[in-house]
Amino acid sequence: MAELTQFFNRQRWQRAATLMMLALLLVLPQWLLHVDFADALFGIGAGWQWLGKNFMPNQAALGDLGEILHQLGRTIVIAVAATSIAGVVALLLALAGAKTTSRLPLVQMGVRLFASCMRNIPFVAWALVLLFSFKQNDFTGFLALFLMTIGYLTRAFVETLEEVPRGVIEALEVTGARYWQIIGQGVLPAVSAPLMSWLLYMIENNIRDATLVGMLTGTGIGFIFDLYFKSFRYPSAGLVVLAIIAVTIAIELTSTKLRQVLAQ
Amino acid sequence: MLTVSHLTKTYPNGKRGLIDVGFSIAPGSVTAIIGPSGAGKTTLLRSLNRLLTPEAGEIQLGNQEMRQLPPRALRLVRRQIGMIFQDYNLIEPLSALENVLHGCLGRKSLAAGMLGLYTKEEKKQALTLLEEVGLGDYALQKAGSLSGGQKQRVGIARAMMQAPQVILCDEPIASLDPASTHTVMTLLKDLAIQHDLMVIINLHQVDLAREFADHILGVNAGRIVFDDGPAALSDEALAHIYAAPEEAAYG
Repeated sequence: MAELTQFFNRQRWQRAATLMMLALLLVLPQWLLHVDFADALFGIGAGWQWLGKNFMPNQAALGDLGEILHQLGRTIVIAVAATSIAGVVALLLALAGAKTTSRLPLVQMGVRLFASCMRNIPFVAWALVLLFSFKQNDFTGFLALFLMTIGYLTRAFVETLEEVPRGVIEALEVTGARYWQIIGQGVLPAVSAPLMSWLLYMIENNIRDATLVGMLTGTGIGFIFDLYFKSFRYPSAGLVVLAIIAVTIAIELTSTKLRQVLAQ
Repeated sequence: MLTVSHLTKTYPNGKRGLIDVGFSIAPGSVTAIIGPSGAGKTTLLRSLNRLLTPEAGEIQLGNQEMRQLPPRALRLVRRQIGMIFQDYNLIEPLSALENVLHGCLGRKSLAAGMLGLYTKEEKKQALTLLEEVGLGDYALQKAGSLSGGQKQRVGIARAMMQAPQVILCDEPIASLDPASTHTVMTLLKDLAIQHDLMVIINLHQVDLAREFADHILGVNAGRIVFDDGPAALSDEALAHIYAAPEEAAYG
């Protein structure tokens, strides 16, 4: 009985502590940084109003549509290519890094460390480093996305591969099958749906990020947005934003649909 | 003929898995291994195809000694030993037929096996085996969509695809309902007779061992304490097999 009382007391205390923490997190920034959440709420509204007034695409902006779509296309191609190639590299790394498919603890640790490093360097940093190495061109943007994606996908693939039950691999080992036969006929078919799902999710994300990377590396859709914005051609910049929104929504819908089909 | 002698396995934590185990098994028979939980049934079964490596003794399959085989030679001998599992261990997103075809991976070249390039004969053989286990109509269904009993029969067909001399069964019916249990045990018995196989089954149910086995091995605390036909399995013998393990068994 005493134990039960203690249990509920502790639960009550934990709830109270959680509430206090939340309250503190809400009050603290206002007090420290003089951020007023109420003000921010209205401020965002004002920002939208300004955007709506100045960024509304007009007749002149439509003249830029050809160039915008061309750059958008290039950006998508770069994002898809960078993600797909990174996916292949990440799969090989993950095979060496997952406990289920690798027998070498040292290699497993090495792969995890490498993936973690790649992931934790923000792509802004990648873009800047690569900009100095390769100058302004599409390849720089491609590399920035490629390197960052390897980190993310290796981590995701390692976790997916580790969900394959040990027994399933064992069942193929005892038939006398060799390592790459077990990988090709057993492990990959067992995880292909979640792997594809991760890849599609990453492509979706990278098309969004490619825009930002492009601003930094001076390529693709990000670059022309930057160009229009800085030369005060707001209606054209607005058209770029609309085009990006349309494409990301379309890609997200397609990839959701594809993932549903894969899950069956 | 499978002959095991003086087999001893000690785990890294010092626990004795098997102590001086010896027996022999004839083709065309079903052998049941019974005994209390933790007695060493699974250790024994997994030692027979070297998923575990005992540190002393002999495992003789035909004229091949298995305990000391290096990896490459071990792979070749393993093709002659099929195994089925409590959890079936199928690749669930693949069809029943593809799972059965996995049984011949050990015979194929590295590249053909890796890419799943099976010959027409192999595909025909896999289909015949599925028909033999009563699943001819389910060949193209995903393994994941089958019932437990059906999955286990796919597992058996996969083991048969190896054209084995021995089939090891690790608690093959522990997750099955009574009707499926009967189907699977009958199938194993029939296959043993028709294909002159040595079927070795870890069992928890003594009545099933009595009904289906030709030969019963009783294991207690890592030792063989009973090695005879089901007719000799008296209440006294059973009490001996299921006696509380002696302290001495844990080193």
